[in-house]
Amino acid sequence: MPKILMKGAEAIGEAAIRAGCLSYFGYPITPQSEVGEYMSRRLPEVGGVFVQAESEVAASQMIYGASGAGVRVMTTTSSPGFSLMAEAMSYIAASELPAVVVNIVRGGPGLGGILPSQGDYFQAVKGGGHGDYRCLVLAPATVQEFVECVMKAFPLAEKYLNPVLLIGDGMIAQMMEPVDFDAVKTEPQRDVEAWATTGCKDRPRNVVECLWLDPKLCEDFNFELIEKYKKMAAEDCYFEEYELDDQPEMVVVAYGTTSRIVRTAIEELRKDGYKLGMLRPITLFPFPFDRLRALSETAHVKAFSVIEMSQGQMIEDVRWAIRDKFPVGFFCRMGGIVPSPEEVIDFLKQEFVTRGLKGAKS
Amino acid sequence: MIEQYNVYAAKLLPPEELFASGHKACQGCAPALALRYLMKALGPNTIVCNATGCMEIVSSAYPDIAWGVPWIHVAFENAAAVASGVESGIKILQRKGKLAPGRINVVAIGGDGGTFDIGLQALSGMLERGHNAMYLCYDNEAYMNTGIQRSSGTPFGASTTTSPAGKAIPGQKTVKKDLLEIGVAHQIAYAATACTSYPFDFMEKVKKAFSYDGAKLIHILAPCPTGWRTNPGEVIKHGRLAVQTGMFPLYEVDHGRYKMSMDLPFLKPLKMYLSPQGRYRHLSEEQIAIIEANLKARYAKLQALCRITAEV
Repeated sequence: MPKILMKGAEAIGEAAIRAGCLSYFGYPITPQSEVGEYMSRRLPEVGGVFVQAESEVAASQMIYGASGAGVRVMTTTSSPGFSLMAEAMSYIAASELPAVVVNIVRGGPGLGGILPSQGDYFQAVKGGGHGDYRCLVLAPATVQEFVECVMKAFPLAEKYLNPVLLIGDGMIAQMMEPVDFDAVKTEPQRDVEAWATTGCKDRPRNVVECLWLDPKLCEDFNFELIEKYKKMAAEDCYFEEYELDDQPEMVVVAYGTTSRIVRTAIEELRKDGYKLGMLRPITLFPFPFDRLRALSETAHVKAFSVIEMSQGQMIEDVRWAIRDKFPVGFFCRMGGIVPSPEEVIDFLKQEFVTRGLKGAKS
Repeated sequence: MIEQYNVYAAKLLPPEELFASGHKACQGCAPALALRYLMKALGPNTIVCNATGCMEIVSSAYPDIAWGVPWIHVAFENAAAVASGVESGIKILQRKGKLAPGRINVVAIGGDGGTFDIGLQALSGMLERGHNAMYLCYDNEAYMNTGIQRSSGTPFGASTTTSPAGKAIPGQKTVKKDLLEIGVAHQIAYAATACTSYPFDFMEKVKKAFSYDGAKLIHILAPCPTGWRTNPGEVIKHGRLAVQTGMFPLYEVDHGRYKMSMDLPFLKPLKMYLSPQGRYRHLSEEQIAIIEANLKARYAKLQALCRITAEV
């Protein structure tokens, strides 16, 4: 199929349908209401189910129910709405059910604004709801990558019986970019009978629950979760390396929309002789700790910088990854402002001076 | 002297604009009118708790604000809960002598999405506990702020971006939730419907609501030309037609007694109301006939409730 030009939010909806997700529950919130609008139009055409819930609380509990029934299911929302879904995320993770949730992050806290932000990093990767649980978190940077991640998210959710969370922002959801839906092959749903409540005639019954009054059982379950998250780190940690193969002095870490700006900045700086590259995490949980640590242990890397659209959230993971071997430079814009390539270039040039690197002189 | 008569003239309204012009509402926005009339009826001794929605967004984008009274923006689902807290706070401060005794009007405001859907739980709590506050639902019959998605206040057959009319569905598949009956079921002091096309009726209802202690609910239909796909210059006409066709009857429930606010000798044909609106353009004659039969039955039921409750 040739590439088609599509708005991010609508591409997310179409990708889910192509991945065999025929049930969508949602609630309007800017800047991603177009996903629900698209689904309300498309799902009846393909024999699916679209339900507009009465709140995000309800939408998220609907995906809990639908997932327990054994179907591929998705909801999408934006920051304030995702806060209302935190309870369901904890229950879905605890009940070990697969579900796909998209959070198009907007400026906050509070009602904040509607423009791009990365302020929900902690909420996405450190749990967000109550209790010890993690979502597998994907942070695509383009509409095409968003489509691919949505299509991969369903099999991943089923592999781990765990919610998969995709985070993007208004820039990706509202922008039109060329999309090729055939770039990823859909993996069909398998072994639903192993976990879903589909009717247990001729097989042992499946139980969907998340209550352990016996603390020993609850602890045992938590140990199982630890093993699950270790497996995610071992088998499904994804990242992209940009210009890291010719002994760069500095590694910049950025994800999502910010990584696109950083890419431009690096391109420009390299023309002037600066030796730097980028590590772009695609999964924010599991985070590429090992790769970052390995980079910090090379002879040539002497500095790290983190660029975010938040007060400094991912930087905590980067500092942990490199065990604070170097001071980590940090630049951010917030509240819906996307950093410009110019200000990122200025910041990185200054970092080269501050850290005593060779920079353009090399 | 004139105060003794029910004389209605625009000249006699207070000139102060406590919901000032210059806000960012669309052309022909009737919800903005509802707030303007509300504030003219209530005056400055008022605290407003405003849920997220069109009216909050257009009136309060920092650093501008259209409100001339203490005003708080709250999350989408919480206007009634925050109003409950404000009212309780006032009560405590007055009991401790830290605030002068006397009535302070506490108003919670939400749109149909923030009231019929996500805010219903908080509304029920406020009404059940009987807080001395009023809830005003301005109903433009869809989530207009996020781009015209259906709500449970959207009437049957209306096309919105999440109830798109086409071959598979005829627009909104469900009937409009009866918000006022939900309020009445809490046995509150006063509940009423209103419409922005009848400002004096609305303002009288607001004043009457605040003449009673306890929780009160006003549900005002406020046409949205952007979402209804109508001429912004005709919102008053369309509001009148909603009332005169029986699509949105004006009535009040005063301590359980139903009373029609207008005696309509007959209901105008529903088509007069539906045909100028883009959201109803696709409806067939049969579908219109079904909607009309339903609204007539509902109107007759309301008239019967007026007769029955007048006797008890």
